[in-house]
Amino acid sequence: MNSNPDTTTQVTQVVINAPVQEVWDALTKEGEVLPHFFGSVMHTTRFAPGAPIRMRTPNGKYTGVVGEVLELDPPYKYSMTFKFTNYDDAVCIVTHELKEVEGGTEYTLTSDRIPVGTKTEKDMARGGKIITSTLKSMVETGKPTWMARFIMVIGNLFAFASPKKCLSSNWPMDKRIELEDQQTSET
Amino acid sequence: MNQPNHTDLVFQTLASKPRRQIMDLVKQMPGCCVNDICEHFSISRIGVMKHIQLLVDARLLISRKPGRKREFFFNAAPIQMIYDRWTDEYSAFWTTQAVDLKYKVESNTKASQPQSKKPAAKAKPSAESKPKPATAKKPSPRKRQRKTVQ
Repeated sequence: MNSNPDTTTQVTQVVINAPVQEVWDALTKEGEVLPHFFGSVMHTTRFAPGAPIRMRTPNGKYTGVVGEVLELDPPYKYSMTFKFTNYDDAVCIVTHELKEVEGGTEYTLTSDRIPVGTKTEKDMARGGKIITSTLKSMVETGKPTWMARFIMVIGNLFAFASPKKCLSSNWPMDKRIELEDQQTSET
Repeated sequence: MNQPNHTDLVFQTLASKPRRQIMDLVKQMPGCCVNDICEHFSISRIGVMKHIQLLVDARLLISRKPGRKREFFFNAAPIQMIYDRWTDEYSAFWTTQAVDLKYKVESNTKASQPQSKKPAAKAKPSAESKPKPATAKKPSPRKRQRKTVQ
């Protein structure tokens, strides 16, 4: 069990009926609107450990999620530090894992070090199941679920209402998004 | 999760009160181990483990073993997919209205007449165990989820 009582872990898993590489490509697509990440676009300098990750609105004006790549093992694993820009909560770790299983690819989304009782915890729980089920739907049918479409429409409609702290100008690529206490020492 | 029978498996697994109680417990205690779950049941450890295995097979629970102990997490994705499969924009709106009304009215009714017939029905798991997740807990998370949709 999680040794720290102030943080928690969430795990979400689906099996996607597609080869592992196809799921990996959909998961890590850069510069394109990603329905499984609520219609945001992934920006990075180079997709490698230590590189920044920014999930931005299609027009680039706002940034919803920031982090940096911790571990990369294509097409099986990719983990990153993770922070919602609109909350002042501690940085979490999000890990995407793919495994070849009978019937396709098992996709596991694990969020660690989530601060308990925060908005980050709530959004992570809601996000996890929508990300996994939408990625499955996208890869298998080419279409997002209605829920993901709905969220994208709402997101675009209300983008203007995003708080100032979500402006992309506040989250330049060279701003470090590090864990608060001991850095994961896997070097 | 794509085999045609996975949906069957999820529904069959859900159709059991102890298994739903295990899901509630694991949801409340992410990363708990078999012993944490067994504490809440009067049935044998082997019986509980059988239920857990069925939940893992249906992917309603995820089991991980990072160290010596096996730990469990609740996986909401199979239930999300049931929701996606039978709900669309229109039905989501109206059912949310109806279900929210149901929860609201029922919680009012409960508040006004405290002694209901519930306690007798759930004698199985040890009576002094932690707050029972099955009844009281459910409405709020669900309500919260749906609300965000609108």
